[in-house]
Amino acid sequence: MLKGLITFCGFYLLGDFVSTLFGLPIPGSVMGMLMLFVFLILRGGLPKSLQESSQALLPYLPLFIVPASVGIINYWSLLQAEGLALLFIILVSVVIGLPICGWIMQAMMKERS
Amino acid sequence: MSTLNWQGAWEQLINSPYFGLFLTLLSFQLGLKLFTLSKKNPLLHPVLVSVVSICAVLLGLGISFEQYYQGAQLLSFLLGPVIVALAIPLYENLKVLRQYWLAFFVSNVIGGAATILVAVYMTQWFGLSPETTGSMWTKSITTAFAIELAPGLGGIAAVAAAIVMVTGIVGAIVGPTVFRLVGIHNAAAQGTALGVCAHAVGTARALELGSQQGAFAALSMSLMGILCAFLLPFIL
Repeated sequence: MLKGLITFCGFYLLGDFVSTLFGLPIPGSVMGMLMLFVFLILRGGLPKSLQESSQALLPYLPLFIVPASVGIINYWSLLQAEGLALLFIILVSVVIGLPICGWIMQAMMKERS
Repeated sequence: MSTLNWQGAWEQLINSPYFGLFLTLLSFQLGLKLFTLSKKNPLLHPVLVSVVSICAVLLGLGISFEQYYQGAQLLSFLLGPVIVALAIPLYENLKVLRQYWLAFFVSNVIGGAATILVAVYMTQWFGLSPETTGSMWTKSITTAFAIELAPGLGGIAAVAAAIVMVTGIVGAIVGPTVFRLVGIHNAAAQGTALGVCAHAVGTARALELGSQQGAFAALSMSLMGILCAFLLPFIL
């Protein structure tokens, strides 16, 4: 567990460092994830300690997004004014996006096989 | 034993930074319980149940968000390293792509662009506030990414989180019906579409449809997050 945490924190810091160094508007966390991903591909194979700690941590990912999401409490009037329109927009965009994405994948896979 | 300081003790309790932490952990546990009891009904997603119940308690007790966040931010603090940990399932799922990586990439880019652009242009047609439009760009990536990205795109983290949540729930609910209506039977295509349009909530739903759907959905969720993180700040 500890080894995994050290790796994740380390790559987070590294990602933040690289993003800042090159002036990229990419969050350190996303950059760190990508760097760890590339590292694993280059290394070829997943260390057991990393697999174990990711399995222990990732089920709690939804918990870690709760506090920031509670911030919506400060935007109550915005939701009251625009909530219904938002719900409609989201529904339309999902109903358009799902078939487009699925059709392309299905058609291109058929062509290959 | 003359006078018990009820008032002072109560204020000490709700003003403690541990109160926000305790409330968050407790409500999330409640959310998980309800989710399991409801056989994973997307409408009872643990994050939604947890956020709604915390808001209710804060409003009921007259606690401000800032006061709540003092303690609860400990959990937000952990979000960074946990996002990094997403590299592991991404790496593990990579092998399912095999010869289909091009199909996968193309459907992610086009499907993702379609669902995002439709939503953003609609917010503009409807004349919604610029903050809402800014928060709409991150609608199809998982909340963790959206919270980190939205502020840089003219959005608000909490509003983006709400939009992402609703998008995920809507996608998970309508997904299987849409697939049936438009004739998407291929497991990989179903998973990819759910991951692109409904991110983590869709991935959970995809896993219920099958393990292949789940793996492709998880990959799409990651690719969409990465593409949005790398492209949106430069496009906007």
